[in-house]
Amino acid sequence: MLPGIKRVAPFEWEVPIGTVPGMRVPGRFFLSDELAKTLEEGAVQQLANVATMPGIVKNSLAMPDIHWGYGFPIGGVAAFSIEEGVISPGGVGFDINCGVRILTTPLHEKDIVKKRELIERLFNAVPTGVGAKSTMRLSPKELEGMLIRGAKWAVDQGFGMESDLVHCEEQGAMAGADPSAVSAKARQRGMPQSGTLGAGNHFLEIQTVREIFQEGAAGAYGLFPGQICIMIHCGSRGLGHQVCTEHLKVLEGATKKYGIVLPDRQLACAPITSSEGRAYFGAMAASSNYAWANRQVIMHMVRKVFSGMFDIQYEEMNLVYDVAHNVAKREEHVVDGRQMKLCVHRKGATRAFGPGCADLPREYAPWGQPVIIPGSMGTSSYLLHGTNEAMVRTFGSTCHGSGRIMSRTKAKKALSGREVRESLAAEGIIIRAPHDGAIADEAPEVYKPSDEVVRIVDSAGISRLVARFVPLGVIKG
Amino acid sequence: MSFEELEHTADIRIRVRGTTLEELFSEAARALMTIVYKNINQGNIRRHVEVDADDTPSLIREFLSEILFVSEVEEMVITGADIHIAGNHLTANLTGEPFSTMKHCGGREVKGVSYSDLTIRHEGDSYILEVIFDV
Repeated sequence: MLPGIKRVAPFEWEVPIGTVPGMRVPGRFFLSDELAKTLEEGAVQQLANVATMPGIVKNSLAMPDIHWGYGFPIGGVAAFSIEEGVISPGGVGFDINCGVRILTTPLHEKDIVKKRELIERLFNAVPTGVGAKSTMRLSPKELEGMLIRGAKWAVDQGFGMESDLVHCEEQGAMAGADPSAVSAKARQRGMPQSGTLGAGNHFLEIQTVREIFQEGAAGAYGLFPGQICIMIHCGSRGLGHQVCTEHLKVLEGATKKYGIVLPDRQLACAPITSSEGRAYFGAMAASSNYAWANRQVIMHMVRKVFSGMFDIQYEEMNLVYDVAHNVAKREEHVVDGRQMKLCVHRKGATRAFGPGCADLPREYAPWGQPVIIPGSMGTSSYLLHGTNEAMVRTFGSTCHGSGRIMSRTKAKKALSGREVRESLAAEGIIIRAPHDGAIADEAPEVYKPSDEVVRIVDSAGISRLVARFVPLGVIKG
Repeated sequence: MSFEELEHTADIRIRVRGTTLEELFSEAARALMTIVYKNINQGNIRRHVEVDADDTPSLIREFLSEILFVSEVEEMVITGADIHIAGNHLTANLTGEPFSTMKHCGGREVKGVSYSDLTIRHEGDSYILEVIFDV
């Protein structure tokens, strides 16, 4: 472990006040001894930087997928008092409400006999990669509908079922969205991109349930061994990127205006109750709603492809859940015995509310909120559920993925896209991407092993394993 | 092309050099476009952009963000920028080629230009920019 960091629990470590000047609270992160060597000084510094921000409550936190990002570390979680705290686009990221959903099918692994054809059909149905445009033609009024009503807008347009909504965090539409804070430029970018996957680490993956850890929870979530499921990972596209870019500039000015001193300009922030803070929250919520609508539209395309190719009905493919992993939300938590209204930032972290929490479908209530952890390309993905322990220790949060350990420059030198594609094909995993470069960037070797990351959150008790999925085919952006 | 990729775990961090501030900005724009579209040449489409900021690092962030915006909405791969900087105000005459999925594939989508570790320094007879792009 890096110097100055002390262990406070078997999988929990503390970054003491004083690690960087001006820290208001200690930093805490979750990591195993096995992954200690992957921890970067830059990530610890970013965790400590967040601890200097006004109104931060309890700890600046990071999940075991912690790595060096910009502003907050990836895997970062921080909660700020609504009355005295700040909101920061650096705690959310450019891809607002980047998130992931998983849907089930009644199909078994043995039913997928024409896998390559299935992958090709999905690749053709979902626009993918840099510059890809949607086949949808949105009017300005329709875009406004997406920004306010999110997944509900998509369902009302025929892209899905009413029952999908209760299976999304926030029912697929965050309250407080303010379309007037979303600029004409952001809308211009958002109009042609609804229902597009994007590029980078975004993907659509066909998986099968390989292992079940808790039968009760798996049953409640509708899973059985050998089942075919589909995972969709994407965000708010150019609209969200533009909202972040523009509000970051406004909040840079606000940081000076309110006399806030920060160690990193990317942490630019404003009091949550200020006009600048409220405008950013409204624009971020609207962008989050765009992302939920986007994933809803993509899921509709997937259901159409499956119901067209197999003897199954559209209605037989159920959404298990949809989680946001780049977002700031107004939540209430008990801190040191006191109920507090907070703005919880999760940047590369997932909400993991425990059993009985509000806003869950009734059948999920005894288990807690489903948490979806995508693996890196070619490795296992996991479904977990939130816990009461997470409510106490992490503001109801857990990890969001594996976490990178190798830069793209190193990955490119070490691995060619073709080699990665061929080695995965040898394991029976088909990769389809617009070009091989996108494959090398996201090869399994560049990430921490997802198995170890979920073992940590399960062992630490901040979420519990339910099921493991293995990939059969991947569409990369 | 005078830019190099530096180590960064999650994102893309580059170093760009120019003999003047204007050349530095122009090279940074070409570097950004090369990352997104991989193969960029010359083009004859023209666009004019203007941006303002409080200081030089902010000015480059605003300018590169504008390049991303124009490139995406105009479906234009920007291949050159004739830049004029007066204080914290920048005007640029951009040239570019039409985006083609066949020709311009192989790059990485840049989501934004970060303030984190954004530096511009003058060393000997050149300006050096280091910047992180979220990908």
